Amino acid sequence: MNPCDRVPAIENAASYMAGTLSQSEAEQFEDHYWNCPACLAYLQALEAVGDELAREPAPQVAPAPKRRVLAWPVPVWALGAVAAAVVLAVVGVRTLGPHTETPSQAQSAPAGSTSSAPTAQIASSSPVRQTATELADLALPAFSGSTLRGAGMEAHFEEGMAAYSRGDCKGALSALAKVPAEDKQERKAQFYSALCRLHEGDLAGAEAGLRGVVDGGDSLELEAAFYYLAQIDLARNDAAGAHGYLVRTIALRGDLERRARLQDQKVLALKKATDASGTTNSK
Amino acid sequence: MIGDHTNAGNPLSGQPALEDERLVRALAEGNQEAEREFAVRFLPRVRAMLRARLRGSDVAADLVQDVMIESISALRRGSLRDSSKLTAFVLAIARNVLYSHFSDVKRSPESLEFPDDLPDLRSLSEELEGEQRRVLAMNAIAGLDPTDKMILQLTLVEGLKPGMIAEKLGMSSDVVRQRKIRATRRVADYVADRSQNASPVDYTAGKAR
Repeated sequence: MNPCDRVPAIENAASYMAGTLSQSEAEQFEDHYWNCPACLAYLQALEAVGDELAREPAPQVAPAPKRRVLAWPVPVWALGAVAAAVVLAVVGVRTLGPHTETPSQAQSAPAGSTSSAPTAQIASSSPVRQTATELADLALPAFSGSTLRGAGMEAHFEEGMAAYSRGDCKGALSALAKVPAEDKQERKAQFYSALCRLHEGDLAGAEAGLRGVVDGGDSLELEAAFYYLAQIDLARNDAAGAHGYLVRTIALRGDLERRARLQDQKVLALKKATDASGTTNSK
Repeated sequence: MIGDHTNAGNPLSGQPALEDERLVRALAEGNQEAEREFAVRFLPRVRAMLRARLRGSDVAADLVQDVMIESISALRRGSLRDSSKLTAFVLAIARNVLYSHFSDVKRSPESLEFPDDLPDLRSLSEELEGEQRRVLAMNAIAGLDPTDKMILQLTLVEGLKPGMIAEKLGMSSDVVRQRKIRATRRVADYVADRSQNASPVDYTAGKAR
């Protein structure tokens, strides 16, 4: 059975089953899945899940307490991680030699650019390393204000994101650092600050920021945080680390799943080739 | 006898136009083998649609039977001239039955005069598939985080929108939406992937021996 490439079939199936589609939307979906085995299978699967949930309801979940938002700059424990990352980065840069480029040098595309932006070119003397770093996708994602549905933007956040959208990472960093820790957009500010650091070539700073986002718990940025942590590991030529983060990205089944899955296949193929060449060389 | 049953494959697979033409012709001739094949192909679609649209109501099973019998009766009468429109034809009958039910309009007496020589449309393999799907669904749900499970239940069973779920669970509606999509994908992928890997439907199930 071929997977359905119509977006977003799965969301339609869930809404259809929940009865939240309008009549014309429901009919459109019916016209589709009556001819689409993949979507029919999805719908049948969701019906089975719905039946089971109706038979054995989930235990009541208490409303989530307001999660403590991680302050930026990061607390002391995270600074340890930053320091470790800096040491690694310095060692890495020394190892990589004079041809090393930072992601900011390699990537000139401003924020909001698409994946056509160049990937990191942290060159190395080893062809395997070069390939690993080339896999890193360091194109900055576009920021869409519409993600802040119905919410007015905090002034510093708005200023920071305007700078980010212009590709002015320094300006963005400066404004985003002023977003109050208790503001509901602080997590976003932390995420985009990390991306700016990545753009500036500060891999360790970016990593600390993204880890802060991850440690803050589930949020809209969680999936992207894992994805960009994987990119940082790739830029550092750490295929195993990147694989770990890509697996976590894929497990969230969000918008980046497909991209992460494709990249993970390449990472695993590369790892296999590296292992094989290591075995051959040692013989 | 219509078609080669060994070549019938998965009933979910796309049907070529020639297959539709042969099926419609055989149905018009009153071929019972064709009627079973018709049931294997359309019963899952009709059932999925009516169960979803009627939100699991007990009346769905009766209406599924009505749709299948009305469709077969109409095809026996040769009501479908363009065989390439077979799927659309059955879908239209299903909608007609559904909307009649919604509007509580009494159906025309002719449509209730079903022939008494219809084949048994039940299929053992379909029942087994349903049971297998149920077990898979149970496993998929067991692997969910309790909050995701609650979000799915409020969505799929209670039909709540993310905003209302968010209020209930004290989360932002964006987070609920995101978690709902992830959890839905996770369970649906799990069940659908493994259901596909199951052995193909036995076309001879329910066949008079």
